[in-house]
Amino acid sequence: MDSPNEHPPTDPLTKNNLQPFFVLHKASKSSESTARSPRKPSKRRLDSSPKVSLNNENMKENLKMEAFRCVWSKIDSSIKDVLRSINADVFDEIGRWVRESFNAICSCRGPVDTSKSSLPYPFVHNGGIVRNLFTGLVFTKNIETVDDILTFAELGLNLKSRGCYVANISSLDFSTKNGIGGCLRAFLRQLLMVDIEAADVSLLVSWYSDHGKYEKPVVVIIEDMERCSGALLSDFVNMLSEWSVKIPIILIAGVATSTDALRNLLTSHALQYLSTSTFFLKSPSERLDAIIEAVLVKNCAGFSVGHKVASFLRNYFLRQDGTVTSFVRALKMAIVQQLSVEPLSFVLKFLVDEGDNKRSCCEDLADMSEELIKHAFELPSYRTYSVNRNNHVELNAMSLCQGLSELQRLQELWRSRLMCLHEAGRYHKVALLDLYLEALDPESYNSRLSNHDRDSAKDKSLLSNNDKLFRLQKAEVTNQVIRKIRDLPAAKLSQLLKSWERLTEGTIEVHEKIIELQSQMVSEDVKSHKAELTDISKRHINRCRLNKEKDACTSNDKAMTLAGQTIRDNMLPIECMPFHELICFKDVDNLQSALIGDPRRRIQIDLLNFYKILKCGCCSNSGGTLSPSMHDTSIMYLLAQEYGDLINLHDWFQSFKVSISSSGKKGLKKLASPKKRKDNTYSQNNSDALIQARFCRAVMELQITGVICVMARCGGVTDELLNQNYVKEATRCHRMVKII
Amino acid sequence: MNEEQNPQTPRRTTRASLSSTPNPKSCKAKLKLCNKQPLTINDLAYGDESISLDDLISSLPGRRSQISELLRLLGPLDSPMFPVFVYGGASTGKTSTILQIFKHLKRPFVYCSCITCYSPRILFESMLNQLLLHRRNESNRYSSTKRCERPSDFVNFLKEALCNVVDSLKGNMVKSSSKKSSGWARGKMVYLVFDNLELAREWDKSSNILPFLFNLNDILKMPEVGLVFLSNASPDTYYSDTGYVEPVPVYFPDYTEDELRQILMKKQENLKLYSSFLEVVLRPFCRVTRRVDELSTAFSTLYQIYCEPLDDLGIVPSEDMKRKLFTHLQPHIGPSLNETFKVENRLSSEASAKTNKWKGIAKKNGVCESPSEIDFHMSACAKYLLICAFLASRNPATLDASLFDSTGGSNNRKRKRKSSEKSKEKKENAEQELLLKGPGTFPLERLLAIFQCIVSVSECLPDEEAQGDGGLEGESWTNGLLSDVLLELSSLCNANFISKCGSCPLEGANRYRSMVSEAMALKVARSLKFPLAKYLYRG
Repeated sequence: MDSPNEHPPTDPLTKNNLQPFFVLHKASKSSESTARSPRKPSKRRLDSSPKVSLNNENMKENLKMEAFRCVWSKIDSSIKDVLRSINADVFDEIGRWVRESFNAICSCRGPVDTSKSSLPYPFVHNGGIVRNLFTGLVFTKNIETVDDILTFAELGLNLKSRGCYVANISSLDFSTKNGIGGCLRAFLRQLLMVDIEAADVSLLVSWYSDHGKYEKPVVVIIEDMERCSGALLSDFVNMLSEWSVKIPIILIAGVATSTDALRNLLTSHALQYLSTSTFFLKSPSERLDAIIEAVLVKNCAGFSVGHKVASFLRNYFLRQDGTVTSFVRALKMAIVQQLSVEPLSFVLKFLVDEGDNKRSCCEDLADMSEELIKHAFELPSYRTYSVNRNNHVELNAMSLCQGLSELQRLQELWRSRLMCLHEAGRYHKVALLDLYLEALDPESYNSRLSNHDRDSAKDKSLLSNNDKLFRLQKAEVTNQVIRKIRDLPAAKLSQLLKSWERLTEGTIEVHEKIIELQSQMVSEDVKSHKAELTDISKRHINRCRLNKEKDACTSNDKAMTLAGQTIRDNMLPIECMPFHELICFKDVDNLQSALIGDPRRRIQIDLLNFYKILKCGCCSNSGGTLSPSMHDTSIMYLLAQEYGDLINLHDWFQSFKVSISSSGKKGLKKLASPKKRKDNTYSQNNSDALIQARFCRAVMELQITGVICVMARCGGVTDELLNQNYVKEATRCHRMVKII
Repeated sequence: MNEEQNPQTPRRTTRASLSSTPNPKSCKAKLKLCNKQPLTINDLAYGDESISLDDLISSLPGRRSQISELLRLLGPLDSPMFPVFVYGGASTGKTSTILQIFKHLKRPFVYCSCITCYSPRILFESMLNQLLLHRRNESNRYSSTKRCERPSDFVNFLKEALCNVVDSLKGNMVKSSSKKSSGWARGKMVYLVFDNLELAREWDKSSNILPFLFNLNDILKMPEVGLVFLSNASPDTYYSDTGYVEPVPVYFPDYTEDELRQILMKKQENLKLYSSFLEVVLRPFCRVTRRVDELSTAFSTLYQIYCEPLDDLGIVPSEDMKRKLFTHLQPHIGPSLNETFKVENRLSSEASAKTNKWKGIAKKNGVCESPSEIDFHMSACAKYLLICAFLASRNPATLDASLFDSTGGSNNRKRKRKSSEKSKEKKENAEQELLLKGPGTFPLERLLAIFQCIVSVSECLPDEEAQGDGGLEGESWTNGLLSDVLLELSSLCNANFISKCGSCPLEGANRYRSMVSEAMALKVARSLKFPLAKYLYRG
């Protein structure tokens, strides 16, 4: 078992348990500068770049920039479209509900009396006070709210376009610091367009009645309800409900978790006033599926990722972040890295441009230097390809262009098959993400091929063939989906075939087979229908039914084999295609380090290898050993490394003192700086104070960078003493610093 | 137009003439036109409509004695009065009674609710704005007439404003005696109504606002001013040590069952059907609550269910049908008794078709369905963290070492020792104590330690997921994990699953507490296939 204590000592900070120094900060994700794994691709760039001339280099950079802009803008816009369309249904629903609620309020209020409505007493209806507040709970289905900031902004715009007054309030406005006044001010500022010092709801009433606005409801959108302070939110609801009839206020709240959150947050009083309806946004995995379909599966930008990258992205999504936002960011990083690493990757731009611009691709490639073209033919994917095929094409731009178009053709096939699978998987709620991942896996493809070869030699009974096909493979989800085609009812099967027909329009054989299958199904249907009509006797019907079931079975089986076959034949993962390196990003390590970022590790490495940065003459040759000329913080950190995880502050100080002063004398002799000697002549006391000050500063620096954290809770008496000691020294140090 | 701009000359009889126009449409149009008109003194009273005493009493069932008491305290026209303190439980008709009484009396009053006026300043300014007939609108940039934060300023302004109002009311009387004017405010008294006064107790730490308000009568020394306080809390709960004349209390008791029936019946269309419905539900619900608002929200949904089998809502139910409807309703009564907050499920059209069946089943059982899975997305890391936090809050810290030892707690033979009677009792006590204490707090380090243990254990488990994903997975799982854990922790805090407690001043580190229920934690554990029950310390 891999117990945490068996970790190598070089990575002390990932250890668990009660350690005195803990890592406290969250890595900033945008930092792309992390030195972790050996960078093969960057090496390659270094190899290739000196060969090309400067002019060429410039042009290449331009091309790359242009390609990035082109590709990313396309991807970005398609992602936005997807997200917009995925929310459209819910928005419609919400819009309808807002209208209904508004009508309900109006019917309760009766005819409008503008002069009375601005007066501050509640509306008495039928002898009682109406304090219902129509509330829509929009469940975002994700505890991370990053993805939904945009959603709610768009919901606001959508409702505005439907003729509502909309105010978006975020949880930041519901902070206890500003009180209810702050939240009201933020709310009123959006509607009244003035900043009011003493805001109260009655202003809203006078604004509402002043403008003769009785045709429109006022919608308040609270984006992330869970983050709001419960007391304030309750007050807010109370306040709004007091005016709920005089101004038709409708509340929309985004809820990340469940309705329990509302129960826990609000007071029972406030809950009483809410008459709620619930709406559900699409779950993040559904959204991700839609994005993958639009960006990576459908030919949106020509860009694609390798299997390992895809599996990393999937794991990152499922296990750690779970937001679409981070997925999109990862995608962007992948494109940037691909473009920066791969010299010929600007062909992406040509792949994006459709139709007429294809020719210009060849022309542009012809303009390229020969090294670049050669580089393309030296790619490992092409090498294996050409070795396998034994073909010797002339290595020029034309053949590269052809190769690229072939690549595109193959990808097109792959895409359509994947979409076929997706269609089939839809009936069993299989995520496209999983299918996509398996479809990218080159290993499973290879095993599939070898299986097929083996099988083709043997007897080809349908069932055994299938069994072998499925048993020996790694692609679990894909096979499940194919297997489940057998269980589909006829109606769904014909529906599926119809969608397949649409998807496989490019390839004739498969298309024909599908049409054949469809016609077969139709004829079966007619047959059985006729049989049912003509034969009335019970036995007959029974038999017919049996027959029919058998027939259905066969057509289902046929569909299944067809799917299996077409996948085996046509679903070539991108990593098995020649020239795929140009458009396919495969470097997981780089992406991971860019996405997750590990600034602490960076700091640690820099602290240990400080001489690489400082580039001073005195310590670079000393390597890792301590020397007094080193930077204080580095000395401290090195000492900390010697001590392990738990450092007694006193010991630390002592060893710091020793390492400074003992070798300090040595250093003094070496450096012979007059100033230091002068210092030395001063009293011992003074130098002690100086060392203490330096020590404290270094500790502070280490603390600020987050490499260490002073733990108070260790439980021992010595530790307490230690802490007191630390505090004392720190204060003294401050005083010293100030005096100096 | 000059006259119109002067708010002190109540010459225009717009309100009265408008209210007498028979056509509501033209009335509305005119109102829109005169929207920007300055307010007149008559706007302080309910001008346009009047209700007779009988209407007043019948509109408020069960409040006859309180109404007559209040009318007695308010006295005949133009008679000075002592301050009145109206109190009673929530939703017992205090505010509506007062408002309806003023509607009946047509006397000018100023109403301020401490819900809307959430601070002394807003209370003061709102009151002054009303008295000075000031309307905050775009033209004055929504500002008040007077900026007034201190009670002393307020008294000065208030006196001034009240004098003006009383003067104009007197002028009003002279005119009204000559002309017939139904819409005009009657009398020269002005009443100040403070609603929801119990909230004012929480304003400011310097609790001088309440004594000030109670003392207002003495401070103003104006016989033309009447004060009415409305509060949920009884007068005993207010400080009364500053020597003011205690206001006359009027108590609004909770409604009786009969009164509730009358109130609830008022709004209904099919009285017979509704009364048969009330016969079934009112008694059990009355034992739980007598608040009209709670009852009416609870009944509105129940009534819908009650009416479900009926095609025609206008029918008069026979005994047989009543029985049928009752059996239909009965399973729903119990659950809704316990429910304070109901969420109406509004499904999109396609989804509703799917779930209709499922809903029907749930309704048959009469039980609120609790889904066995969590229906929102959480990353696996967050789920583990949630479980860890739950464990850290539930289990005593001393047990950690034995639970998460080197074997990862997978053998729990040790803990399954037989226990004697005495120790059992002890454990029961401890369990109760645990329940009373609620979830415990824990430092971040303990959470991280447990997290590390649990993650390492679950990685060793022959999990099918881990198998399928191969070696790459494990790598990405531990790489850069710690930094992400803290991010996940913060998002869990944001979702209120884990709450940050105040940091200990000695230790300086934050402590956390898990806020999730056991059911929720179990659900999360199930989704991870994590054996949570094995790790729970049960007394």
